[in-house]
Amino acid sequence: MKTEQRTGVIRDYDMHSTSVKIGYGLILFLCVLMVILAVFPLLWVMLAGFKDLKEFVSSTSIFPQSFDPQSFATTWNQLGIAQNYLNSLLFVVGSVICALIFNGLLGYGLGILKPRGHKAVKRLILLSLLMPTTISIVPLFMNIQNLGLGNSFVPLWLSYGANAMYVILFVQFFESLPASIIEAGRIDGCSQLQTFFRIVLPLSKPICTVIAIFAVNAAWSDFLLPYLVLRGGSLQTVMVRLFVFSTEQTVNADTMMRSVVFSMIPPIILFFIFQKQLTENAVSVGIKG
Amino acid sequence: MGRQWKRRSRAKRKEAFTSWLIMLPGLILMAFFVWEPLFESVRMSLYKTRNVELVRFIGLDNFISVTGKDDFLQALLNTFSYTFWSLLLGFALPVLLAMLIGETRRGKGFFRTAVYLPNMLPGLAVIILWSAFFSGEKSGVFNILLGQFGVPAQSYLTHADWVIPIIILIATWKGAGATALIYMAGMASISPELYEAAAIDGATVWQRIVHILLPAIKKLAGTLLILQIISVFQIMYEPMVLTKGGPDNASLSLMQLMWQYAFGGSMNYGKASAVAVIVTLILLVMTAVYSYFNRKESDWD
Repeated sequence: MKTEQRTGVIRDYDMHSTSVKIGYGLILFLCVLMVILAVFPLLWVMLAGFKDLKEFVSSTSIFPQSFDPQSFATTWNQLGIAQNYLNSLLFVVGSVICALIFNGLLGYGLGILKPRGHKAVKRLILLSLLMPTTISIVPLFMNIQNLGLGNSFVPLWLSYGANAMYVILFVQFFESLPASIIEAGRIDGCSQLQTFFRIVLPLSKPICTVIAIFAVNAAWSDFLLPYLVLRGGSLQTVMVRLFVFSTEQTVNADTMMRSVVFSMIPPIILFFIFQKQLTENAVSVGIKG
Repeated sequence: MGRQWKRRSRAKRKEAFTSWLIMLPGLILMAFFVWEPLFESVRMSLYKTRNVELVRFIGLDNFISVTGKDDFLQALLNTFSYTFWSLLLGFALPVLLAMLIGETRRGKGFFRTAVYLPNMLPGLAVIILWSAFFSGEKSGVFNILLGQFGVPAQSYLTHADWVIPIIILIATWKGAGATALIYMAGMASISPELYEAAAIDGATVWQRIVHILLPAIKKLAGTLLILQIISVFQIMYEPMVLTKGGPDNASLSLMQLMWQYAFGGSMNYGKASAVAVIVTLILLVMTAVYSYFNRKESDWD
């Protein structure tokens, strides 16, 4: 892009100086090094997955002796990962739906409808951004138990409907929408809810995409609350399974690495499909990680 | 006149009512998943608990018993140590990455994508993956790589002084690229004319960095600093999975201590909540200190 080349401290004019040219070479070198550092561990784990246990614990070579995909297939079948994938899929889909509907409607109320007293709620939500949920995971788990919702996806899905970060992002986006369009809808006799579905939602594709991507990734990677709620049951997700493996050490090191690969494949696919949206919107959402 | 006004105000009230109704489901969920548990953990920390039941009010006994144990002091010091290392290794690095990528004239999109990739991977998988790198066996990846240069095999994770920096290194590997993109956006909003003008006035590249680029991202850096401290203060599953808090509690964090009290077999939710409340208080104090200094600074501006 034209404009992209023009940002940056080093200007075209500087490139005539030898020392700046050397410096620029160094910058490129460091950038390439950075890419290697970011990608190498991933490549390694994929290669390591081809090793069997004996080779994994004793071989001092990065490369496996053979590239037989059979080892992956064996682990997949032995551990019954297919079922966990299915569970993860269910968990992710429900979480994304909840994340969009509940946070979206709350954001609509705070960003567009703005009834009296909405400011206090907005402040409360901003404040909850600073108080992350792990801290209160114990009472939350107790509440879930007391409601008899253990071993069920319902509390986990709904937990994605209560994300302060997503609410704030919706509010910011809705506030940037031109008021005249929403006003026009109201004059045409739409109710508040109709305005949301007929006017606001169709305009909100960008923010919905971003939040959906982030919710997919967050739900896929989530394991603490899912572990507490789903442990021992038949609904365990891929990450819950991996967490159980890692804390109970019931599987061999080579099987563990293949499970790691299985757990990384969906996020990597997601990443390559949506890399543009991700790297461009990381600005706003990345803060939360 | 009066009646019309009344009707309009009734319509308005009805509208406000509907608006609150629309927000209600989201508010209920926020209350259930975020707000109520926070209050509940304060309440629970003051009770003797048995499983999920509150048995009786015991005042500050949970706090006294929790803080009186050796592992608490150790976990507290470790948590500050995590914060220290995280600031040392992880704070400036994203700025540097952003500056480097920002200067590239070709392939900027590629570099951005590559550094962001680790952030997409599940945190748990990342920890397990890196555990193989730091494994003490001769098949550990670092032992293989450094063995090429004649470095003898090391047992990285059993060194009490090494575990915390290692865990922070892993967390930095995962998070630095994403943070760098936030800085890049901040740097991209600096008008190139500023650099041009400075260049014409004879400012060197280095002077432009110090006097234009760094001041421009100061405020953003302040915000990211406090967010980083808050997030590293809750480090929990990383040591739990990588070292189980070891060797000899050398990497035990406060939140991990909380998890142990609650889910480590004893199911002592009261004591676990006491630890959670202590962490919350420390975070609140830090946030307050930050916003105090932040306010002062903006007063000067």
